[in-house]
Amino acid sequence: MALLEVKKLGISFGGLRAVDEFSIKIEKGELYGLIGPNGAGKTTIFNLLTGVYKPTDGSILLDGVDITGKSTIQINRAGIARTFQNIRLFHNLSVIDNVKVGLHNHYKYSAGTGVFRLPKYFRTEKEMNKKALELLKVFDLDGEAYLPASGLPYGKQRKLEIARALATEPKLLLLDEPAAGMNPNETAGLMDTILTVRDEFGVTVLLIEHDMFLVSGICEKLTVLNFGQLLCEGKTGDVLSNPEVIKAYLGE
Amino acid sequence: MKKKISPMTRKSFVTYGLLLIVFIAVEIMMNTGNISSMLKGLLVPVCVYSILAVSLNLTVGILGELSLGQAGFMCIGAYSSAIFSNLVKDTITQPLIRFPLAIIIGGICAALFGILIGIPVLRLRGDYLAIVTLAFGEIIKNVFAALYIGYDSTGLHFSLKSQGDLGLGADGKMIINGALGISGTPNDSTFEIAAAILFITLIIAYNFVNSRTGRAVMSIRDNRIAAESVGINITKYKLITFGLTAFLAGVAGVLYSHNFYSLQASKFDYNMSILVLVFVVLGGIGSIRGSVIAAVVLTMLPEYLRSINNYRMLFYAVILIVMMICTSNATIRNFFVHNFEKLKGLIFKNKSKTVKEAE
Ligand SMILES: Nc1ncnc2c1ncn2[C@@H]1O[C@H](COP(=O)(O)OP(=O)(O)OP(=O)(O)O)[C@@H](O)[C@H]1O
Ligand SMILES: [Mg+2]
Repeated sequence: MALLEVKKLGISFGGLRAVDEFSIKIEKGELYGLIGPNGAGKTTIFNLLTGVYKPTDGSILLDGVDITGKSTIQINRAGIARTFQNIRLFHNLSVIDNVKVGLHNHYKYSAGTGVFRLPKYFRTEKEMNKKALELLKVFDLDGEAYLPASGLPYGKQRKLEIARALATEPKLLLLDEPAAGMNPNETAGLMDTILTVRDEFGVTVLLIEHDMFLVSGICEKLTVLNFGQLLCEGKTGDVLSNPEVIKAYLGE
Repeated sequence: MKKKISPMTRKSFVTYGLLLIVFIAVEIMMNTGNISSMLKGLLVPVCVYSILAVSLNLTVGILGELSLGQAGFMCIGAYSSAIFSNLVKDTITQPLIRFPLAIIIGGICAALFGILIGIPVLRLRGDYLAIVTLAFGEIIKNVFAALYIGYDSTGLHFSLKSQGDLGLGADGKMIINGALGISGTPNDSTFEIAAAILFITLIIAYNFVNSRTGRAVMSIRDNRIAAESVGINITKYKLITFGLTAFLAGVAGVLYSHNFYSLQASKFDYNMSILVLVFVVLGGIGSIRGSVIAAVVLTMLPEYLRSINNYRMLFYAVILIVMMICTSNATIRNFFVHNFEKLKGLIFKNKSKTVKEAE
C-alpha cells in the first residue's frame, strides 16, 4: 500500500482553477520531487495536503486512512509535517524552543503541572531538551540552541524549520523549496541532510524545488505540474529528459 | 562544567528578589512608623494594579491579542467575592479563612466569565477582539450598577429594579444597592496579603510562560499557521490564556473590593482597562517585570504629584511620553543598555577579562 495516495484533487479560487485533477502515489521511504514553473500550483497542493485549504474535489489517503477535509492539526497528528516556502519560524522563541513546540504532542504535561512545577514538569522538560538537542545536532544547530530563532542566518532558518517539522514525528515530510536562497555549498549540505533524514528517521519525503541540481541529485521520482495540471510523472531521469517538460520550463 | 541556568529562570529570580527587597523595606518602614499615610493607603492598590498588569500582559504580550476587558473581569471578581464575604462575615469571623475563600471564589467567577466570552470572542482577531472585550466590560459594569441584592431570614433576594422591589423582611440587610454599590465588605485586604498574592501571580506568570503551555501560546503569537502545522490547538491555548488572565484579574478585583468599605461598579469603567493597558505597553509588551515596575511607578506618581496640584497632570503626561520613548525607541533603549553594560564592565572588570581570555 502506498503511503500517500491522492486522487483527482482539485481547488478553485474564484474563477481560477489553481489545481485540477491532481493525482500522485508515493511509496513508503521514497524521496519524491514535485516540480513545475512559477504559479503552477505546487504550494497550493501542499496547502491542500495539510488542510490549510479544503479541496473542492478529490480524496487524500495517508497510510490507507482518508484525511480529506481534515483540519491542519488532525492531519499533523495523522502524520504529515511540512516546511514553508516563506519561512515561518517562531521568531521570538529560541532555536531549541522552536523544536520543543514541535515535540508538543509527544511529550505531555498539563498546564497546572507547568505552573506549579510538579515533578513531572522537570522530568518531561529534561526529556524534551534531550530529544530537541538530538534533533538540532542532525542539522548542526546544537551550537545555536539558545539563540533566538530570528538571529539565525537564512540557510539555518530553513534547516530549523525541517527540524521542527521532524519533531512532530511525521510519516510524510513536505518540504517547500528547502534550498531557496542557499548558495551551492549550502545546497550540497542540505542534500546530504535530507538523505540522512530519510534514512535515519525513516520518513518519506515529498519536496518542491526549482534547483535542478538538488532535484536530479536526490529525488528518485518526479511529478511535474503545469497550470495546476499534471504534466508527467516517473523516474527522475526520464522526466527531466521529457521534451514536454523542457518545453514547459523554457516556454514555447 | 557549570550547570546552566536558563535566561528565563534568571530573569524570574531577579524579579522575585527585587520584590522581596521592596517588601522588606516597606515592612521596616511600617514597623518603625516611618511611612506617610498616603503611601500606606497606596500599598494595596499598587499590588492590585501590578497583578492586573501582569495578568493582562499574558494576553497582550504572550498570546499577542489585544483585550480591553480587564476592568470587567476585575468587577466580577470584586462583586462576587464581596457578596460572599458579606454573607459569611458573621459566621466565619476569622479573616485568614474567609479571605482566601473569597479570593478563590472571585478568581473562579471571573475565569468562568473569561472562558464563556472567550469561546465566541477569540475567533475574532486584532481590533475586533479589543472592541468586543471593551463592550463586555461596560456591560458587566452596567449590570452590576443596576443590581440590587439583599438578604434576610428567608434567604437571598435579587432585583434589577429598585431596593423596594426586593421585599426584604424586617431583619433584611442590603449587600448591593444598585449604583450606590456594595458596602459593609470586611476590610480583609492587607499589604502583606496583597504582596503575597502579587508574588504568587508572578510565579504563576513566569512558570506559565516557561512551560509547555506557554511555548504553545507564544508559538501561536509568533506564527499561527506554523503553530497549526505542528499540531498546536489554537482555540484551546487561547482559551487557557484568556481564562488565566481573567482569573488573575478577578483576584485583583477581590483585593480591591476588600480594601474599601464601600465600592461602586462605576469604578470599573473602560478607563481602568485602558490604564492597565498603558502599564503593560509602557512596561514593555511581554515583559512581566516591566509590567510591575510600570504599574508601581504610574500608580504612585499621580498621588505624589498632588503637592504641585496645578501641574500634576502635565508632569504625568510628560513622564508618560518620556517612558514611552525610552521603552519603544530602539536607539534610546540601546543607549541605556549600552551604558549599563559599560558600567557592569567597569565593576566586574577582572571577571569579564578572564572570560574573554578563556574564549
Ligand atoms: N489563497 C489564494 N487565493 C487566490 N489565489 C491563490 C491562492 N493561493 C494560490 N493562489 C493562486 O494559485 C496559483 C498557484 O499558486 P502556488 O503558490 O501554488 O504556485 P507555486 O507552484 O507554488 O509557485 P512558486 O513556484 O512561485 O512558488 C497562483 O496563480 C496563485 O496566485
Ligand atoms: Mg510555491
